[in-house]
Amino acid sequence: MTTPATGFFTDTSVCIGCKACEVACKQWNQLPADGDFFSGRSYDNTIHLEATTWRHVAFVERQARLSGQTTSRPFSWLLMSDVCKHCQRAGCLEACPTGAIVRTEFDTVYVQPDVCNGCGYCVVCCPFGVINRREDDGRAWKCTLCYDRQKDGVEPACAKACPTDSIAFGKLDDLREMAQARLQELHRRGVTEAWLYGMSERDQPGTEGLHAFFLLLDRPEAYNLPPDPIVPTKGVAGSWGVMALAAAGMAAAALAATHSRGGDRK
Amino acid sequence: MSLAQSRLHVGREMSPGLALQIGEGAAQQVKHAEPDAGGIVPLWRQVPSQHRTDHNYYDLALLKEPVWIWSVPAYFYMGGVAGGSAMLAAALHGKKRLRRLANWCRFLAFLGTTIGPVLLTYDLGKMSRFLNMLRVLRPSSPMSIGSWSLAGTGMMAALSLLQGDRSGAVTRYGTAVGGLLVAGYTGVLLGNTANPLWRERRLLLPALFMSSAAASTAGVLQMMPLDEREEKVVQRFGMVGKAGEAACMVAMQRNDATVPEVAAAAREGKGGVLWTAAKAALVSGILVELLPVRSPLKRKVSGALTTIGAICLRFALLESGKAAAREPQTTINVQRRRMKG
Ligand code: SF4
Repeated sequence: MTTPATGFFTDTSVCIGCKACEVACKQWNQLPADGDFFSGRSYDNTIHLEATTWRHVAFVERQARLSGQTTSRPFSWLLMSDVCKHCQRAGCLEACPTGAIVRTEFDTVYVQPDVCNGCGYCVVCCPFGVINRREDDGRAWKCTLCYDRQKDGVEPACAKACPTDSIAFGKLDDLREMAQARLQELHRRGVTEAWLYGMSERDQPGTEGLHAFFLLLDRPEAYNLPPDPIVPTKGVAGSWGVMALAAAGMAAAALAATHSRGGDRK
Repeated sequence: MSLAQSRLHVGREMSPGLALQIGEGAAQQVKHAEPDAGGIVPLWRQVPSQHRTDHNYYDLALLKEPVWIWSVPAYFYMGGVAGGSAMLAAALHGKKRLRRLANWCRFLAFLGTTIGPVLLTYDLGKMSRFLNMLRVLRPSSPMSIGSWSLAGTGMMAALSLLQGDRSGAVTRYGTAVGGLLVAGYTGVLLGNTANPLWRERRLLLPALFMSSAAASTAGVLQMMPLDEREEKVVQRFGMVGKAGEAACMVAMQRNDATVPEVAAAAREGKGGVLWTAAKAALVSGILVELLPVRSPLKRKVSGALTTIGAICLRFALLESGKAAAREPQTTINVQRRRMKG
């Protein structure tokens, strides 16, 4: 690896829900529109990450104060800009039968649109429900961590557009330091519910750490993140083992069924 | 602007004269610019604002539903028949008085491994790229291993169909091993996903697919004209398969019961109906088989019931997988339970 691993650190405590990242992502990547509708779920009309939506801001209106904060009424926002996690052990990549999904020189997970044949296996193998196959296009799409921009040495569009630097882009090592410092700062100020989601293998053994990790202010479920995601390939050895046993069983059944005492071999 | 060009720009509100279409997502082909929300969320005209749910995010799906269409479970069935008959054909090799049955098996193995890839290709988003399935071998992906096994077994099956009893040991054992892989890998494939229902069943699915493959093979053969000797072979092979299939289905239901949401996903909706149908067909197939009379009609009815059961079973697995992915609490509770240890 010549270039150091890069990623995102999304600090949800400073997100203001402006959706600049969503717009910047759509614009830069020239992604098609998803349709105009209101979901009835706070300000979240984007609803989820999709083949055509590579950043999604979650909105939760909580009737409770954040610890260490004083507001006239018990209220606080949970806002989070969600994105593909570019997992260290990526379910989508390990499942892809065509080799369309690769790890780039930046250690990010990239789907090559000219190779993908739309088999749909990555869709069920992502433990975060990120990647999806677009029906009329037929291929699977997700965040590229702005592979094109990174090759030119500029930061991804969402991070560039984020006005509060809630989305930080950089070398993974730097981001981890930054996240630790921010966490300590928040704890010092009394926001004790702040914690880091998926920063390292220790935090999330199932994926061995995310290259796009988060500082959260509530349980992961509140943001529609899985509490303990596991890359599907962990535990698949058992399945192959069972299959081997069952195969032996079927072979034995076939031999026993065709066996005849008379010996009719000729 | 040509039609093809205007299609490319749909939904992007940009003039191709002013902007270059070179973004990472620009190659996305869009026919309808603003798809409806696909039933994911009801529109606000129909529902009042949703209050935050305490335990998840507005009850919205956490995972993506499988995108596979009917041809994938149909393939699961065809692959099972192909695999089972390949194995049986290998076991029947050289048995003179069972030559006709062996040829039926060879033919079924060939048919299954020929129609199978067609069904799989029909599901692909880009059908023209079906050969990319053999572009690399990725051992971490059961689908990759399966594609290679299917291609290899297809070739072997064609060879052994042509050569019959004259085929060499390589073809014979190759067909057997390939057949076993084709019959069972689909179970590993479903178990090796993030879908909570399939993942929780990952140690049972390969055994289910394997035994059901034996049952389906026997089911198809039972519907053919057979003499007494052939009938006995098919019946014995099928009975082991059916018993295994039934045992796996019972074990699966018990396994599901440990997480109520998983059990619910398996029980409710289309998947639940199909699962019940599969059970009913399997059990009645076994019962008919056990009737103390010997008649071709009985044999054919039993074979048909087994076949219906095996097909329903595969569709049930896909439909319940979809249901499990739609309900976020299934994923969350499975993981929370695991975290508690
Ligand atoms: S979050 Fe999903 S799509 Fe992104 S790298 Fe991980 S497994 Fe792949």
